Amino acid sequence: MDANKPQPGVPQKAPGPRLSEPGLRKVLLLAFGGLLALMLLAGVSALLSLRQLHDVEQQVTSRFLSRTQALSEVVISVHIYDDELAKFLLDNEAAALRGEGTAIAQRAAKAHSALHRYPSDGGPRERQLLREIEDSLSQQETISSVMLSLTPGHRKTRSSKFIQEQLLPRSLSILQVSQQIASLNSEELAKSNQDLLARFSSLQSWLRSMLLAALAAGLLLSLLGSFYVLHLERQGRERYLALADSRLELEKLSARILDIQEQERRSIARELHDEVGQALEALLVELGRLAKLAPANEQAMRERISSLKSLAENSVKTVRDIALLLRPSMLDDLGLIPALEWQAREVSRRGEMEVEVHSQMVSEQLPDEIKICVYRLVQEALNNAAAHASAKHARVSVREVTEKLEVEITDEGQGFDPQRMRGMGLLGMEERVKRLGGKLKIESRAGHGTTIVAELPFEPAKSA
Amino acid sequence: MKKIRILLADDHQLMRSGLRLLIEQQPDLTVVGEAADGREAVALARSLRPDVAVMDISMPNLNGIEAAHQITQTHGEIAVIVLSMHPDESYVLRALKAGAKGYLLKDSAESDLIAAVRAVARGKSFFSPAVSKVLLDDYIRKLKRSGAEDAYDLLTPREREVLQLVVEGKSNKEVANLLNLSVYTVETHRSNIMQKLNLKGVPELTLYAVRKGIIS
Repeated sequence: MDANKPQPGVPQKAPGPRLSEPGLRKVLLLAFGGLLALMLLAGVSALLSLRQLHDVEQQVTSRFLSRTQALSEVVISVHIYDDELAKFLLDNEAAALRGEGTAIAQRAAKAHSALHRYPSDGGPRERQLLREIEDSLSQQETISSVMLSLTPGHRKTRSSKFIQEQLLPRSLSILQVSQQIASLNSEELAKSNQDLLARFSSLQSWLRSMLLAALAAGLLLSLLGSFYVLHLERQGRERYLALADSRLELEKLSARILDIQEQERRSIARELHDEVGQALEALLVELGRLAKLAPANEQAMRERISSLKSLAENSVKTVRDIALLLRPSMLDDLGLIPALEWQAREVSRRGEMEVEVHSQMVSEQLPDEIKICVYRLVQEALNNAAAHASAKHARVSVREVTEKLEVEITDEGQGFDPQRMRGMGLLGMEERVKRLGGKLKIESRAGHGTTIVAELPFEPAKSA
Repeated sequence: MKKIRILLADDHQLMRSGLRLLIEQQPDLTVVGEAADGREAVALARSLRPDVAVMDISMPNLNGIEAAHQITQTHGEIAVIVLSMHPDESYVLRALKAGAKGYLLKDSAESDLIAAVRAVARGKSFFSPAVSKVLLDDYIRKLKRSGAEDAYDLLTPREREVLQLVVEGKSNKEVANLLNLSVYTVETHRSNIMQKLNLKGVPELTLYAVRKGIIS
């Protein structure tokens, strides 16, 4: 048993460099986390920036709109004021009677309030222009108040001139200034828009670089990942191979043990048969001759000789039985099927049970190891059937099917549970069959007998 | 009187000399050669042309059965006695198929050898009594197991006569002469016997006869 120790029963550490696995796993995890964080950061910041840009854009637009509206209110109110004033001056009677002088003052106040409603957060240029409008308006008011204070007769003669020389030019100048303000507004809007565009494009380029970075990181990661997977795969394969190797080794070992056992048995059988058996047989022959030489009247001597003879006969039989058990010479002398039939008859002769042998198309040129295997298989199975299952009847059938030998041994004994009871005998059978690349199936149930089926592949003998 | 010339083939010197001593005590028998294996036995049989060859089954190089086969194929006049340890029909049938005329158990060689040699030299068959007994026991057991009837009862008296003569080694013509029948009738009887007993060929027929004690 000690000889078995150095055998590689357990898979040894597979050779080759190996990365520390937890380290690689950590790196991978970190890389994945980093990639995710990068992508999240890019997304969130892009969203925030977009929102900000949107807000700014709205601000700009609303500023522009409110300014434009306020301006148009100013222009309209000034226009209405001028218009009413002119009308009043030209068509004075009726209007004066209706008290439209106060209405004009109201218009002026409206125009002022429109001016004051104009957003006051503009630049100095805008503020200056606004002041100009206000000044013009105030001048108009001052002059027109002079006009209004005149008597209707006076007014009538001077109105046209006043309108032509005083009112219209001022109206015109207010209009011009307001146009300037409008264009100032438009300029500001354009500038803001350009600013927005610039910010947007910077966001775009930032996003682009983020995406590129994520892509690069992803690429690196997938490279790393595939490397890891490949590494794992190689490791798995190595382990599998090592395992298969050690299994093969084990199988080889047990096959070798079986081989050695057969060889050993054969040589012991040969030795027994050749040396002991033949000597005893020669002794028998000699004793027979001696018996004939002995005088007829020497009764005691004859009896002695005959008892010696029966002693020798028994010894011959014992030696022969042992030799046959060790190595069935029938296999060599007769071939497989007659040897099996002989075996079956031997069992029957011992009165243990009746055994039938059936065979079909079995070639006589079977390889020796197949013959031995089948012979031992049948021997073991019949032994089990008679000794353990107390079977009264068994059947052995052998047939050859396309380079395969099928052996079936059925008994009608007690049966057993093959899952639980795997005695050495059955294990031995399995070893023998496996070693020749065959398959063994054992079917048994308590009370229902046992069927053992073996399939043994073989190459038809090439020898002539 | 012409002595019966015998060839001994056994791989064991002790056994051969024992048998030789036994044979040479008889005035009408003589050992003309000894072979230690099957090949030598075949060669010696061809060169010495003995009347009888006594052949052990278990021999190196070429076993006794193969050797017997080769000898009887080319020299049918040499009567072969197979020496065996096994009283079993597989062996007996093998020996018969190889053309052996006698089947002798080693256990009883010392007492039966002389009778066997004389019998086969006269063209008769010889089987150790122990063999007949074992074969018969096996046969009866087999019949019991299968529940079959012994087909011997099916044979007519004439067929039994023919059977006896055939297994004693007589040719169809000799049987016809002895029984005053035509060769054709003898052939018909033979094929009927084979059919009734469900046997193939003379070796199986001989085995059957040994089993039934028709010859020994």
